[in-house]
Amino acid sequence: MERQEIIDGLVDILRTVRTIDQEKLENVTEETDFIADLKTPSTEMINIAAKAEQKFDVEFDDDDIDDLGSTVKDIVDLIISTKEKG
Amino acid sequence: MMAEGRRVAIVGMGGAFPNCKDLNDFKQKLFAGKSLIRDWDKAQALGKAIRSTVCGYITEAEMSLETIYSTLVLEYPETFIDHLNRVPNGNLATSDIGSIWSMIATQEAIKMAGWTNTETESEQTGVVIGSGSAGQIITGTAWHNFFELKRKSRALGSHTVDRGMVYRHAANVSCLIKNKGVCEAIGSACATGLGNIGYAYRLINFGIQDRVVCGGVEETALETFIGFDAMQVLSKGFSPAESSRPFDTSRNGFVCSFGCGIVALEEYEMAKARGAKILAVIDNYHNNSDGDGNMFSPSFMGQKRLWKGLFGDQLIKPDVVKVHGTSTPVGDAIELLSVVDVMGEESYHISAPKSQFGHMLGAAGAVELITSIFMLEEQQVLPCLNSDILNPELEPFQKLPDWDGPKKPLAEYRHLISKENIHKSINQIVCLNYGFGGTNSAMSISKHQ
Repeated sequence: MERQEIIDGLVDILRTVRTIDQEKLENVTEETDFIADLKTPSTEMINIAAKAEQKFDVEFDDDDIDDLGSTVKDIVDLIISTKEKG
Repeated sequence: MMAEGRRVAIVGMGGAFPNCKDLNDFKQKLFAGKSLIRDWDKAQALGKAIRSTVCGYITEAEMSLETIYSTLVLEYPETFIDHLNRVPNGNLATSDIGSIWSMIATQEAIKMAGWTNTETESEQTGVVIGSGSAGQIITGTAWHNFFELKRKSRALGSHTVDRGMVYRHAANVSCLIKNKGVCEAIGSACATGLGNIGYAYRLINFGIQDRVVCGGVEETALETFIGFDAMQVLSKGFSPAESSRPFDTSRNGFVCSFGCGIVALEEYEMAKARGAKILAVIDNYHNNSDGDGNMFSPSFMGQKRLWKGLFGDQLIKPDVVKVHGTSTPVGDAIELLSVVDVMGEESYHISAPKSQFGHMLGAAGAVELITSIFMLEEQQVLPCLNSDILNPELEPFQKLPDWDGPKKPLAEYRHLISKENIHKSINQIVCLNYGFGGTNSAMSISKHQ
């Protein structure tokens, strides 16, 4: 799965998270920070992670979620590494 | 305890009411003598699993709301859409349905009160809103998915706590209006609505706050309904409009209903100084407990002590007594006799608004206070629907040797209870509500002179 394909999928998820300002989703890149740039409430990060598990058919380790950073790159990396672990 | 000279005015109100578009629609239907109780399709769909199927319910569509269900968890409300854009998406995400009703009702009440943003956001503005139950739909669905369907906790998302906690309505209202004063919820079962307003009254009366948004909420939920259905205390066997029949000999239980009542209170002199429209003035509030160790049965002595506490050293002579009047066999009889014992047999009327919309549980006291404000405004006593025949015989407890209350049967007090609207001069109304656990609340309000 290409990284841009994952980013597009993440933006689809973010469009369902109604606490995020939808206008900020036009130019999401790997450097975009959920909390600093998108003003995502920190409590929503677990929702995004759970929805990413469903969308990309992966199951994250609890420790990986605990250590997850707040940029799009962080979660793209986690999705890819989790898929590689099988 | 009271700060010298501080009185409390009611300056705004709002709410969510069964089968009504808004506050004005609610008022018009009440004075037109209509019943707001309907057959509830959700209860009927349960067939023999449920006993009662009539209800004063409010659908999401009737409030222009829509649930967005989770894609991760079965039948779990993830958030809501407000099709009238009254509540921002960020606030909807932390709400259950009752919290959304509370926020919409608060917006109405503050608009009617005419508070500025500076006043609303002040340290002197509080929020006190409670409910008779927990966030049943959110927690029930979450627990089912976790315990039975073995879903991970994170699949439930991060809003199970804020949408299920006891003071979720107050918390959501406070986050919406950004007040900096008190934010709390009082719980006292079916006395909750009046109890929260009574507590808010004291906050102002004691000099702790200048303004408080307060009231009670009970969101439409089968999860709440079935608990009472199991107790066999709900009305059964009548058409919806005839199901709630306070004081009538054939009453066989209350109609479980849902709704929300919010009022805006303000220190009287401040409200008067800024030219606010004062809907009513609160004369006094008192609450107590039966003290007899009985969770459910009403107490004649407890209610008499309630009146004594309400009177205090004030002259209270109501033109109307707005009773709890649930339409249960024991409750109505004890209540009518305690009112007569204290108030005598003449010079006032009894109003039992549950006859028109059922028992809104934690919202009842707040919504019924709003109906009392309506009666002050319209100078009319609302009708007690279906109170067709009052018992011409003594109640069994009146025949016991230790009974020291009125010795006449309920039918002797027919003249106090009317099935039709009564037009009369109304300057003062006493509101009564009681709850499981033997808790009793009373508030006296007066027309602003």
